[in-house]
Amino acid sequence: MDIEIFPHRLLGADTTERLLNDLEDIESIKRMVIHGARLPSANEEHPDRRTITVRDEEIDLQVKTGRILLEIDSEEAIEDVKEVCENILNFGFNVHIGTFIRYQKTVTDGIKYGDQLDQIPEEMVGLTDQNAQLNKRATILKKKD
Amino acid sequence: MAQYYPGTTNVAQNRRNFCNPDYDLKKMREVSDEDVVKILGHRAPGEEYPSVHPPIEEMDEPDDPIRDLVEPLDGAKAGDRVRYIQFTDSMYNAPAHPFVRARAYLCRFRGADAGTLSGRQIIETRERDLEKYAKELIETEFFDPAVTGIRGKTVHGHSLRLDEDGMMFDMLRRQVLDKDSGMVESVKNQIGEELDEPVVLGEPMSEADLKEKTTIYRKDGEAYRDDKDAVEVLHRIHVTRSQGGFSPE
Repeated sequence: MDIEIFPHRLLGADTTERLLNDLEDIESIKRMVIHGARLPSANEEHPDRRTITVRDEEIDLQVKTGRILLEIDSEEAIEDVKEVCENILNFGFNVHIGTFIRYQKTVTDGIKYGDQLDQIPEEMVGLTDQNAQLNKRATILKKKD
Repeated sequence: MAQYYPGTTNVAQNRRNFCNPDYDLKKMREVSDEDVVKILGHRAPGEEYPSVHPPIEEMDEPDDPIRDLVEPLDGAKAGDRVRYIQFTDSMYNAPAHPFVRARAYLCRFRGADAGTLSGRQIIETRERDLEKYAKELIETEFFDPAVTGIRGKTVHGHSLRLDEDGMMFDMLRRQVLDKDSGMVESVKNQIGEELDEPVVLGEPMSEADLKEKTTIYRKDGEAYRDDKDAVEVLHRIHVTRSQGGFSPE
């Protein structure tokens, strides 16, 4: 199942970094999507346009975080997510339950990747912007053993 | 007495205050004339106003009775260009919003043309008059440095959530909060060109003050439906307009 964290303010890079790192500790979260308005290109020197580090993995933050979509294993994780959010998002937030991340490959994917469509792993589907190159917008974090 | 806006809520009262030219707007900050010129970006500070040549007095203009009836603005007298200032007001309790600005501008400023859009409001008039009006709009309670933006272009942001520091989203980052001093500085002019020196616009209002000062009805603030008086007048206008449209005889 999916949940969406909807903060009442747009998040800066520091808060996004802290939130993602804390969420990473919740075992039942399988995938995360940061959703928001695009930040200007790196040479514009926007303070939020920087590399954030989540579990030693460097991610080039390209959006102003407006929503965070999570795929979770079980409903119990929602309470853990809320607890993490309460610590960091002190200006308020909503957590919505629903389907937010795409799970199936689409015709658009077929046109985009052609014969290589089968090589795209299932867990990458729905993680990125349709118009983006897959390798530019998704980062794989190694889970603890 | 002129009736500017119905309603018994604080929001209605704030709307009446803006529209009523006899109400003295509270001065919230000091911005020098030179800084206003810099933010507007239409001419360099200290530069002469570009005006028509030859001067209007030397022009042979056709006779027009209106010219005897209406005293021209200073800028019109001098043959100035028509220039603009445009404000974006966040829906998160900004002190003003486009429709209230339009009403207020037409009540307060002579010879000015107001253009209203969903999230932004432009005012156009002769350059030297515009600078006077712009100064008033920036210095008084019409303006809050965090939730009001001076945006000639790339105006997007009024309906977005605020940034963590309470600033309205601006892709060009024209107004920036200096975290050390707590003051908002304008680092670019209204069309996003870098200024040599930032212009200090003062401290943003607190959330409670914004709620007190806003002219926007909000469900999480003062809801429009709770303002019985305003709703009653709206209904009356709706009914009379509809009946007028059917031409009852």
